[in-house]
Amino acid sequence: MFEIGLTHYLVVATLLFVMGIFVMITKRNAIGILIGVEMVLNGANINLVAFNRYNGMGNIDGQIVSLFVIVLAAAEAALAVAICMNFYKNLNTVDVDHGDTLAG
Amino acid sequence: MTELIAEIPAWFPKASEFLTFSPELAWVATLCLIMLAPLAIGRDARITAGLAIVGIAVTAFFTFKVMGIVSAEGPQTGLTPDRTGGMLIADNLSLFFKLFLLTFLVGVSILWMSVSANQEDDAPEFFVLMVGSALGMSLMVSTQNILMMIIAIEFASLPSYAIVGFNKQKRIAAEASLKYMIFGSVSAAVMLYGASLIYGFFGTLDVAQIALNAGPVLEAGGANRLLVGLGMFCLFVGIAFKISAVPFHFWCPDAFQGAKTEVTAWLSVASKAAGLLLLMRLAHVFCMYAGAEVLHGVAIVIAIFATITCTVGNLSAYKQTSTKRMLAYSSIAHAGYMMAAAAILVDANKVESFSAISAVLAYVVVYMLMNLGAFGVVALLESKNGGDDSITAFAGLGWKTPVLAIPMLFCLVSLVGIPPFAGFITKWYLLAALGETGVGLYWALAIVIVINTLISLWYYMRVIVQMFLRESDKPATDVPMSGALLVNVCGVLLIVLLIFSNPLKNRSDKYSAGLFAASPTALAGEGAKDSLAQSSPQAGGTESLENNHGG
Repeated sequence: MFEIGLTHYLVVATLLFVMGIFVMITKRNAIGILIGVEMVLNGANINLVAFNRYNGMGNIDGQIVSLFVIVLAAAEAALAVAICMNFYKNLNTVDVDHGDTLAG
Repeated sequence: MTELIAEIPAWFPKASEFLTFSPELAWVATLCLIMLAPLAIGRDARITAGLAIVGIAVTAFFTFKVMGIVSAEGPQTGLTPDRTGGMLIADNLSLFFKLFLLTFLVGVSILWMSVSANQEDDAPEFFVLMVGSALGMSLMVSTQNILMMIIAIEFASLPSYAIVGFNKQKRIAAEASLKYMIFGSVSAAVMLYGASLIYGFFGTLDVAQIALNAGPVLEAGGANRLLVGLGMFCLFVGIAFKISAVPFHFWCPDAFQGAKTEVTAWLSVASKAAGLLLLMRLAHVFCMYAGAEVLHGVAIVIAIFATITCTVGNLSAYKQTSTKRMLAYSSIAHAGYMMAAAAILVDANKVESFSAISAVLAYVVVYMLMNLGAFGVVALLESKNGGDDSITAFAGLGWKTPVLAIPMLFCLVSLVGIPPFAGFITKWYLLAALGETGVGLYWALAIVIVINTLISLWYYMRVIVQMFLRESDKPATDVPMSGALLVNVCGVLLIVLLIFSNPLKNRSDKYSAGLFAASPTALAGEGAKDSLAQSSPQAGGTESLENNHGG
């Protein structure tokens, strides 16, 4: 058995970040892009908590920040879904490629 | 009673700290009042606007009060007793920016009342979103903590996404807010990931403390340098999104074209100014503690971004047919000019960096007048012709409706930056700040700005030509009194500020001089950095200037 250390958490966080970025770039669906955003945010959260646990210098700043990030992500998701609904009402799709009225 | 007071824990802010941040508290109270008032007294655009204006006035009153405290006792920080940097900072820069935002809010409210108030019963929502995003922007400039910075950016962004899509029935508004929201949340996520890397390396999110430890890491090179650099770049992406620096600008023309014109006027100035001043504050704090030589690479990066931003903005503005979209690209170009000054900050010694901040402050004030005037004319015009904001809609305006055409002419010529308007003198301050560094990089930036000014002349000219040289059989536009007054005041102020440019310069010198700096002794116990705590090399000079002015 091996000991779980900082590196393992960082690897998971980096994987989440890379997957999130990949999802943001490849998805055409607005909700899909938002899922990518959430993955990156959670990668950041894992980073923050892990760094705090192993490298915290006696304070809990990292964990507090991660709580703030969760709240921010929730607020952003609520608004984002509302905007997606508004987009759907107007265009009958949430495919971002169909938003091509404004260009140039 | 005394027992009760003894019970208050040490972390609880003191009454004096509450006074220092009374503008924020008044601002939040205004927000709640506007939101709740419709429940008590019904939905009425006039009452809501009146409440908003009263709240803005109260906030401004407290801001002046805190300004008195700051000029007597120096910059204040607070609400975090165990942190040296402080989550919130009240110094001249942040207070100046609060007053700037409040003034601008009043201007935008007047414009909204003369253009949209009659068609809407959504006034409470509109004002909640406007005042809320304004509070977020003011927080952006009042912090040097990365967590607070991210919260403030989100606080400014979320209401902006909603307000861009305020016309729910309009297809382009829905599209604009979706694009804005997606770009915004992607850049916020990337920025947060960068912040988590920075936190991992330095164990803190206070920029002053990070800067104290950053020098060795960045000089040592290797993987650490790469990761810290990546973290900083991620943070920069978030700020660059707010400034709409190329290549993070794609949201900007779309969001500005889709939004209501008064919202466009608001976002084009306020959110960019907030992002720029945030960037300048962070760069200033960073180079104060880390030493400017560490940041030479960063200065070059910002300079390259500034060059690309103003060039792309100006070149893309050419082919636009919509006035709003053209002005959106013009605002990208202006953000590029101001970014050029931000590049000075990270690489020069202190006197020069203060003249850079001072130049940007003066620029921002005049830029607000120019954009409020120009977008105000567009808003008034399109409210009378069925929403047509194309450049050809201006045909013949000069002879039929001079009450709109004259301020538009003033604002556009001032946006180019040629005399006799205030846009000229502020651009001159910017060039002077670049020139007096005497460094080749900044001279090159100054030349880029001059060339870009020449390019920009032609697309602003297109509107002027339409107004005065093209005929149209359309009747004269019937303009509401308050709106006409607003745009004409903006136009006239542009001339007044050129004639009285000295007070403008003195004030911006004063507000840029008293920048907050956490006392380095508290940070690291290094006596050597003590001298940096007296952060205002220009303070003496400014005072004597003001005395002269007063005498």
